[in-house]
Amino acid sequence: MDPQPEPTSYICGDCGAENTLKPGDVIQCRECGYRILYKKRTRRVVQYEAR
Amino acid sequence: MEGISYQRFPKIRIREMKDDYLKFDLTDTDASMANALRRVMIAEVPTIAIDLVEIEVNSSVLNDEFIAHRLGLIPLTSDFAMGMRFSRDCDSCDGDGQCEYCSVEFHLNVRCDSDQTLDVTSADLRSTDPHVVPVDVAARALSTDPASFDSDQRGIIIVKLRRGQELRLRAIARKGIGKDHAKWSPAATVTFMYEPEIHINEDLMETLTLEEKRNWVESSPTKVFDIDPNTQQVMVVDPEAYTYDEEVIKKAEAMGKPGLVEIYAKEDSFIFTVESTGAIKASQLVINAIEVLRQKLDAVRMQDAEADFKEFSEHMGV
Repeated sequence: MDPQPEPTSYICGDCGAENTLKPGDVIQCRECGYRILYKKRTRRVVQYEAR
Repeated sequence: MEGISYQRFPKIRIREMKDDYLKFDLTDTDASMANALRRVMIAEVPTIAIDLVEIEVNSSVLNDEFIAHRLGLIPLTSDFAMGMRFSRDCDSCDGDGQCEYCSVEFHLNVRCDSDQTLDVTSADLRSTDPHVVPVDVAARALSTDPASFDSDQRGIIIVKLRRGQELRLRAIARKGIGKDHAKWSPAATVTFMYEPEIHINEDLMETLTLEEKRNWVESSPTKVFDIDPNTQQVMVVDPEAYTYDEEVIKKAEAMGKPGLVEIYAKEDSFIFTVESTGAIKASQLVINAIEVLRQKLDAVRMQDAEADFKEFSEHMGV
Protein backbone atom coordinates (compact mmCIF):
# COMPACT_ATOMS: atom_id res chain seq x y z
CA MET A 1 0.00 0.00 0.00
CA ASP A 2 1.21 3.48 -0.85
CA PRO A 3 1.80 5.67 2.19
CA GLN A 4 -0.22 8.49 0.63
CA PRO A 5 -2.17 8.42 -2.59
CA GLU A 6 -0.15 10.66 -4.90
CA PRO A 7 -2.07 12.77 -7.39
CA THR A 8 -2.44 11.02 -10.72
CA SER A 9 -2.38 12.85 -14.01
CA TYR A 10 -5.18 12.64 -16.56
CA ILE A 11 -5.63 13.93 -20.09
CA CYS A 12 -8.65 15.99 -21.04
CA GLY A 13 -10.86 14.38 -23.64
CA ASP A 14 -11.58 17.72 -25.31
CA CYS A 15 -8.55 20.03 -25.20
CA GLY A 16 -5.87 17.43 -24.35
CA ALA A 17 -4.49 19.37 -21.41
CA GLU A 18 -2.87 17.45 -18.59
CA ASN A 19 -4.74 17.54 -15.28
CA THR A 20 -3.66 16.24 -11.91
CA LEU A 21 -6.43 14.90 -9.74
CA LYS A 22 -6.48 13.86 -6.09
CA PRO A 23 -9.12 11.60 -4.54
CA GLY A 24 -12.30 13.57 -3.96
CA ASP A 25 -11.57 16.14 -6.64
CA VAL A 26 -14.26 17.11 -9.14
CA ILE A 27 -13.66 15.31 -12.42
CA GLN A 28 -13.35 18.33 -14.68
CA CYS A 29 -10.63 19.79 -16.87
CA ARG A 30 -9.02 22.85 -15.36
CA GLU A 31 -8.50 24.44 -18.77
CA CYS A 32 -11.79 23.97 -20.57
CA GLY A 33 -14.20 22.46 -18.04
CA TYR A 34 -14.75 19.27 -20.03
CA ARG A 35 -15.87 16.41 -17.81
CA ILE A 36 -14.30 13.45 -19.59
CA LEU A 37 -10.73 12.75 -18.50
CA TYR A 38 -8.51 9.86 -19.60
CA LYS A 39 -6.06 8.19 -17.25
CA LYS A 40 -2.49 7.93 -18.48
CA ARG A 41 -0.74 4.62 -18.90
CA THR A 42 1.44 3.52 -16.01
CA ARG A 43 5.15 4.07 -16.39
CA ARG A 44 5.76 0.77 -14.62
CA VAL A 45 6.48 -2.49 -16.45
CA VAL A 46 3.39 -4.67 -16.69
CA GLN A 47 3.54 -8.44 -16.94
CA TYR A 48 1.22 -10.69 -18.95
CA GLU A 49 0.96 -14.39 -19.65
CA ALA A 50 1.11 -14.98 -23.38
CA ARG A 51 -2.02 -17.22 -23.42
CA MET B 1 1.95 -62.34 -14.30
CA GLU B 2 2.27 -65.18 -16.74
CA GLY B 3 0.22 -65.06 -19.91
CA ILE B 4 0.22 -64.84 -23.63
CA SER B 5 2.38 -62.10 -25.02
CA TYR B 6 0.68 -59.65 -27.32
CA GLN B 7 3.95 -57.97 -28.20
CA ARG B 8 4.21 -56.90 -31.82
CA PHE B 9 6.97 -55.28 -33.78
CA PRO B 10 5.54 -52.29 -35.65
CA LYS B 11 7.31 -51.07 -38.77
CA ILE B 12 7.56 -47.65 -40.32
CA ARG B 13 8.13 -47.07 -44.01
CA ILE B 14 8.78 -43.50 -45.08
CA ARG B 15 7.15 -42.48 -48.34
CA GLU B 16 7.80 -38.78 -48.63
CA MET B 17 9.90 -36.49 -46.49
CA LYS B 18 10.31 -32.71 -46.49
CA ASP B 19 11.31 -30.43 -43.63
CA ASP B 20 7.73 -29.64 -42.72
CA TYR B 21 5.94 -32.64 -44.21
CA LEU B 22 6.18 -36.38 -43.74
CA LYS B 23 4.15 -39.24 -45.16
CA PHE B 24 4.75 -42.73 -43.84
CA ASP B 25 3.19 -46.16 -43.36
CA LEU B 26 2.84 -47.68 -39.93
CA THR B 27 2.27 -51.42 -40.11
CA ASP B 28 2.05 -54.46 -37.81
CA THR B 29 0.27 -52.65 -35.01
CA ASP B 30 -3.28 -51.61 -34.12
CA ALA B 31 -5.41 -48.49 -34.09
CA SER B 32 -4.75 -47.77 -30.41
CA MET B 33 -1.04 -47.43 -31.11
CA ALA B 34 -1.58 -45.35 -34.25
CA ASN B 35 -3.95 -43.01 -32.43
CA ALA B 36 -1.66 -42.72 -29.40
CA LEU B 37 1.15 -41.69 -31.71
CA ARG B 38 -1.06 -39.13 -33.45
CA ARG B 39 -2.25 -37.62 -30.18
CA VAL B 40 1.26 -37.47 -28.72
CA MET B 41 2.50 -35.66 -31.84
CA ILE B 42 -0.22 -33.03 -31.51
CA ALA B 43 -0.34 -32.50 -27.77
CA GLU B 44 2.72 -33.85 -25.98
CA VAL B 45 5.85 -33.23 -28.00
CA PRO B 46 7.51 -30.22 -26.36
CA THR B 47 8.45 -27.01 -28.14
CA ILE B 48 9.45 -23.53 -27.05
CA ALA B 49 7.07 -20.57 -27.14
CA ILE B 50 6.86 -17.13 -25.57
CA ASP B 51 5.00 -17.52 -22.28
CA LEU B 52 5.60 -14.33 -20.30
CA VAL B 53 5.64 -10.78 -21.61
CA GLU B 54 6.79 -7.72 -19.68
CA ILE B 55 5.63 -4.62 -21.49
CA GLU B 56 7.49 -1.42 -20.76
CA VAL B 57 5.96 0.89 -23.34
CA ASN B 58 3.02 0.21 -25.63
CA SER B 59 1.44 3.13 -27.45
CA SER B 60 0.26 0.96 -30.35
CA VAL B 61 -3.40 0.46 -31.22
CA LEU B 62 -3.40 -3.07 -29.81
CA ASN B 63 -3.71 -3.52 -26.06
CA ASP B 64 -1.05 -5.23 -23.98
CA GLU B 65 -2.75 -8.60 -23.58
CA PHE B 66 -3.56 -8.73 -27.29
CA ILE B 67 0.14 -8.26 -28.13
CA ALA B 68 1.20 -10.76 -25.47
CA HIS B 69 -1.15 -13.33 -26.98
CA ARG B 70 0.16 -12.71 -30.50
CA LEU B 71 3.76 -13.09 -29.34
CA GLY B 72 2.89 -16.41 -27.71
CA LEU B 73 1.59 -17.80 -31.01
CA ILE B 74 4.83 -17.18 -32.95
CA PRO B 75 6.47 -20.57 -33.63
CA LEU B 76 10.08 -20.70 -32.43
CA THR B 77 12.79 -23.14 -33.52
CA SER B 78 12.69 -25.86 -30.87
CA ASP B 79 15.34 -28.40 -31.88
CA PHE B 80 16.69 -28.46 -28.34
CA ALA B 81 13.33 -28.49 -26.57
CA MET B 82 13.53 -32.22 -25.73
CA GLY B 83 16.70 -31.60 -23.69
CA MET B 84 15.39 -28.47 -22.02
CA ARG B 85 13.76 -28.31 -18.61
CA PHE B 86 10.19 -27.32 -17.89
CA SER B 87 10.44 -24.15 -15.83
CA ARG B 88 8.28 -25.78 -13.13
CA ASP B 89 10.89 -28.57 -12.74
CA CYS B 90 13.84 -26.20 -12.91
CA ASP B 91 15.50 -25.81 -9.53
CA SER B 92 18.22 -23.39 -10.60
CA CYS B 93 15.83 -20.51 -11.16
CA ASP B 94 12.26 -19.32 -10.85
CA GLY B 95 11.63 -19.28 -14.59
CA ASP B 96 12.15 -15.56 -15.05
CA GLY B 97 14.50 -15.86 -18.01
CA GLN B 98 17.65 -15.78 -15.93
CA CYS B 99 18.35 -19.46 -16.37
CA GLU B 100 19.67 -21.06 -19.55
CA TYR B 101 18.16 -24.49 -18.77
CA CYS B 102 14.53 -23.55 -18.97
CA SER B 103 14.04 -20.16 -20.60
CA VAL B 104 15.09 -17.91 -23.44
CA GLU B 105 14.74 -14.16 -23.29
CA PHE B 106 13.53 -11.98 -26.16
CA HIS B 107 13.60 -8.22 -26.53
CA LEU B 108 11.50 -6.04 -28.76
CA ASN B 109 12.16 -2.33 -29.08
CA VAL B 110 10.52 -0.58 -32.01
CA ARG B 111 9.41 2.98 -32.59
CA CYS B 112 7.93 4.51 -35.72
CA ASP B 113 9.40 7.87 -36.72
CA SER B 114 8.24 8.10 -40.31
CA ASP B 115 4.95 8.90 -41.97
CA GLN B 116 4.76 5.39 -43.35
CA THR B 117 3.12 2.65 -41.32
CA LEU B 118 5.76 0.51 -39.68
CA ASP B 119 5.18 -3.24 -39.48
CA VAL B 120 6.54 -4.80 -36.31
CA THR B 121 7.32 -8.40 -37.22
CA SER B 122 8.91 -11.53 -35.79
CA ALA B 123 12.15 -10.35 -37.44
CA ASP B 124 12.28 -7.45 -34.94
CA LEU B 125 12.41 -9.86 -31.99
CA ARG B 126 15.94 -10.11 -30.61
CA SER B 127 16.70 -13.49 -29.06
CA THR B 128 19.35 -14.12 -26.42
CA ASP B 129 19.86 -17.65 -27.79
CA PRO B 130 20.76 -18.07 -31.48
CA HIS B 131 19.22 -21.57 -31.44
CA VAL B 132 15.81 -20.23 -30.49
CA VAL B 133 14.46 -17.77 -33.05
CA PRO B 134 11.15 -17.34 -34.90
CA VAL B 135 10.89 -20.11 -37.52
CA ASP B 136 10.45 -17.74 -40.46
CA VAL B 137 13.60 -15.84 -39.46
CA ALA B 138 15.54 -19.11 -39.27
CA ALA B 139 14.20 -20.23 -42.65
CA ARG B 140 15.28 -16.97 -44.26
CA ALA B 141 18.75 -17.21 -42.71
CA LEU B 142 19.17 -20.71 -44.12
CA SER B 143 17.77 -19.93 -47.55
CA THR B 144 20.44 -19.49 -50.21
CA ASP B 145 18.00 -17.81 -52.51
CA PRO B 146 16.82 -14.54 -50.96
CA ALA B 147 14.62 -13.87 -53.96
CA SER B 148 12.34 -16.72 -52.90
CA PHE B 149 11.10 -14.45 -50.12
CA ASP B 150 9.06 -11.51 -51.30
CA SER B 151 9.98 -8.13 -49.97
CA ASP B 152 6.49 -7.73 -48.53
CA GLN B 153 6.78 -11.07 -46.78
CA ARG B 154 9.28 -10.09 -44.17
CA GLY B 155 8.13 -11.91 -41.07
CA ILE B 156 5.06 -12.57 -38.96
CA ILE B 157 3.38 -9.23 -38.30
CA ILE B 158 2.87 -8.56 -34.60
CA VAL B 159 1.44 -5.03 -34.78
CA LYS B 160 1.56 -1.98 -37.05
CA LEU B 161 2.75 1.40 -35.77
CA ARG B 162 2.08 4.93 -37.02
CA ARG B 163 4.28 7.97 -36.41
CA GLY B 164 5.14 8.43 -32.76
CA GLN B 165 3.91 5.01 -31.60
CA GLU B 166 6.30 2.77 -29.76
CA LEU B 167 6.50 -0.80 -28.47
CA ARG B 168 9.11 -1.87 -25.96
CA LEU B 169 9.02 -5.20 -24.14
CA ARG B 170 10.84 -8.20 -22.76
CA ALA B 171 9.45 -11.66 -23.42
CA ILE B 172 10.36 -15.00 -21.88
CA ALA B 173 10.02 -18.17 -23.93
CA ARG B 174 9.62 -21.48 -22.15
CA LYS B 175 9.34 -25.14 -22.95
CA GLY B 176 5.79 -26.46 -22.97
CA ILE B 177 3.42 -28.97 -24.55
CA GLY B 178 0.34 -28.59 -26.71
CA LYS B 179 -1.84 -30.05 -23.93
CA ASP B 180 -1.19 -26.92 -21.84
CA HIS B 181 -1.71 -24.48 -24.69
CA ALA B 182 -1.98 -24.99 -28.45
CA LYS B 183 0.85 -22.49 -29.03
CA TRP B 184 3.25 -25.24 -27.93
CA SER B 185 1.96 -27.78 -30.43
CA PRO B 186 4.60 -28.59 -33.07
CA ALA B 187 1.99 -30.14 -35.36
CA ALA B 188 -0.07 -28.29 -37.92
CA THR B 189 -1.99 -31.45 -38.84
CA VAL B 190 -1.44 -35.11 -38.09
CA THR B 191 -3.78 -37.61 -39.70
CA PHE B 192 -3.83 -41.33 -40.34
CA MET B 193 -6.06 -43.54 -42.45
CA TYR B 194 -6.50 -47.28 -42.65
CA GLU B 195 -4.92 -48.72 -45.76
CA PRO B 196 -7.76 -49.98 -47.98
CA GLU B 197 -7.81 -53.42 -49.56
CA ILE B 198 -9.83 -53.38 -52.79
CA HIS B 199 -11.01 -56.58 -54.48
CA ILE B 200 -12.77 -56.35 -57.83
CA ASN B 201 -14.92 -59.32 -58.77
CA GLU B 202 -13.45 -59.77 -62.25
CA ASP B 203 -16.07 -62.27 -63.45
CA LEU B 204 -18.94 -60.01 -62.46
CA MET B 205 -17.12 -57.00 -63.88
CA GLU B 206 -16.90 -58.67 -67.28
CA THR B 207 -20.70 -58.88 -67.44
CA LEU B 208 -20.73 -55.07 -67.68
CA THR B 209 -20.66 -53.19 -70.95
CA LEU B 210 -17.91 -50.62 -71.49
CA GLU B 211 -20.44 -47.83 -70.96
CA GLU B 212 -21.55 -49.39 -67.65
CA LYS B 213 -17.92 -49.75 -66.56
CA ARG B 214 -17.30 -46.09 -67.35
CA ASN B 215 -20.37 -45.04 -65.34
CA TRP B 216 -19.27 -47.17 -62.44
CA VAL B 217 -15.68 -45.82 -62.49
CA GLU B 218 -17.06 -42.27 -62.66
CA SER B 219 -19.29 -42.86 -59.62
CA SER B 220 -16.30 -42.66 -57.29
CA PRO B 221 -15.81 -39.05 -56.13
CA THR B 222 -12.03 -39.64 -56.02
CA LYS B 223 -10.04 -41.28 -58.80
CA VAL B 224 -9.62 -44.80 -57.39
CA PHE B 225 -10.41 -46.85 -60.53
CA ASP B 226 -9.75 -46.49 -64.21
CA ILE B 227 -10.28 -48.48 -67.39
CA ASP B 228 -7.31 -50.02 -69.13
CA PRO B 229 -7.36 -48.49 -72.65
CA ASN B 230 -6.06 -51.74 -74.20
CA THR B 231 -7.95 -54.50 -72.43
CA GLN B 232 -10.93 -52.35 -71.38
CA GLN B 233 -10.68 -53.93 -67.93
CA VAL B 234 -11.42 -51.99 -64.77
CA MET B 235 -8.32 -51.60 -62.61
CA VAL B 236 -7.41 -49.97 -59.33
CA VAL B 237 -5.12 -47.02 -60.01
CA ASP B 238 -4.90 -45.42 -56.57
CA PRO B 239 -6.32 -47.38 -53.64
CA GLU B 240 -5.31 -44.63 -51.19
CA ALA B 241 -7.52 -42.12 -52.97
CA TYR B 242 -10.49 -44.08 -51.60
CA THR B 243 -12.15 -42.10 -48.83
CA TYR B 244 -14.42 -44.91 -47.52
CA ASP B 245 -17.38 -43.09 -49.08
CA GLU B 246 -18.88 -46.41 -50.35
CA GLU B 247 -20.19 -44.64 -53.47
CA VAL B 248 -18.89 -47.41 -55.77
CA ILE B 249 -20.56 -50.07 -53.62
CA LYS B 250 -23.89 -48.20 -53.72
CA LYS B 251 -23.49 -47.70 -57.45
CA ALA B 252 -22.86 -51.43 -57.99
CA GLU B 253 -26.01 -52.24 -56.02
CA ALA B 254 -27.99 -49.67 -58.00
CA MET B 255 -26.77 -51.31 -61.20
CA GLY B 256 -28.04 -54.65 -59.91
CA LYS B 257 -24.53 -56.04 -59.42
CA PRO B 258 -23.98 -56.35 -55.68
CA GLY B 259 -20.59 -57.72 -54.78
CA LEU B 260 -18.93 -56.13 -57.81
CA VAL B 261 -16.27 -54.78 -55.51
CA GLU B 262 -15.31 -55.51 -51.93
CA ILE B 263 -13.35 -52.96 -49.94
CA TYR B 264 -11.89 -53.67 -46.51
CA ALA B 265 -9.85 -51.46 -44.20
CA LYS B 266 -6.66 -53.26 -43.16
CA GLU B 267 -6.77 -53.13 -39.39
CA ASP B 268 -3.02 -53.22 -38.89
CA SER B 269 -1.80 -50.81 -41.54
CA PHE B 270 -1.97 -47.03 -41.37
CA ILE B 271 -0.95 -44.20 -43.64
CA PHE B 272 0.19 -41.15 -41.69
CA THR B 273 0.56 -37.60 -42.91
CA VAL B 274 2.37 -35.20 -40.58
CA GLU B 275 2.70 -31.46 -41.12
CA SER B 276 4.91 -29.46 -38.81
CA THR B 277 4.64 -25.79 -37.84
CA GLY B 278 8.38 -25.52 -38.45
CA ALA B 279 9.29 -25.55 -34.75
CA ILE B 280 10.90 -28.95 -35.36
CA LYS B 281 11.24 -30.97 -38.55
CA ALA B 282 8.34 -33.30 -39.31
CA SER B 283 10.69 -36.30 -39.15
CA GLN B 284 12.01 -35.16 -35.76
CA LEU B 285 8.42 -34.71 -34.60
CA VAL B 286 7.73 -38.41 -35.17
CA ILE B 287 10.98 -39.45 -33.45
CA ASN B 288 10.25 -37.19 -30.46
CA ALA B 289 6.67 -38.48 -30.28
CA ILE B 290 7.92 -42.07 -30.06
CA GLU B 291 10.36 -41.03 -27.33
CA VAL B 292 7.61 -39.25 -25.36
CA LEU B 293 5.36 -42.30 -25.73
CA ARG B 294 8.18 -44.53 -24.51
CA GLN B 295 8.74 -42.33 -21.45
CA LYS B 296 5.02 -42.51 -20.66
CA LEU B 297 5.06 -46.31 -20.90
CA ASP B 298 8.13 -46.41 -18.65
CA ALA B 299 6.20 -44.37 -16.08
CA VAL B 300 3.33 -46.87 -16.22
CA ARG B 301 5.72 -49.79 -15.87
CA MET B 302 7.34 -48.20 -12.80
CA GLN B 303 3.91 -47.69 -11.22
CA ASP B 304 3.03 -51.32 -11.91
CA ALA B 305 6.26 -52.59 -10.42
CA GLU B 306 5.69 -50.53 -7.27
CA ALA B 307 2.08 -51.69 -6.94
CA ASP B 308 3.05 -55.32 -7.47
CA PHE B 309 5.73 -55.09 -4.83
CA LYS B 310 3.30 -53.49 -2.36
CA GLU B 311 0.74 -56.23 -2.98
CA PHE B 312 3.42 -58.85 -2.54
CA SER B 313 4.67 -57.48 0.78
CA GLU B 314 1.11 -57.14 2.08
CA HIS B 315 0.45 -60.75 1.13
CA MET B 316 3.57 -61.86 2.94
CA GLY B 317 2.48 -59.92 6.00
CA VAL B 318 5.62 -57.81 6.08
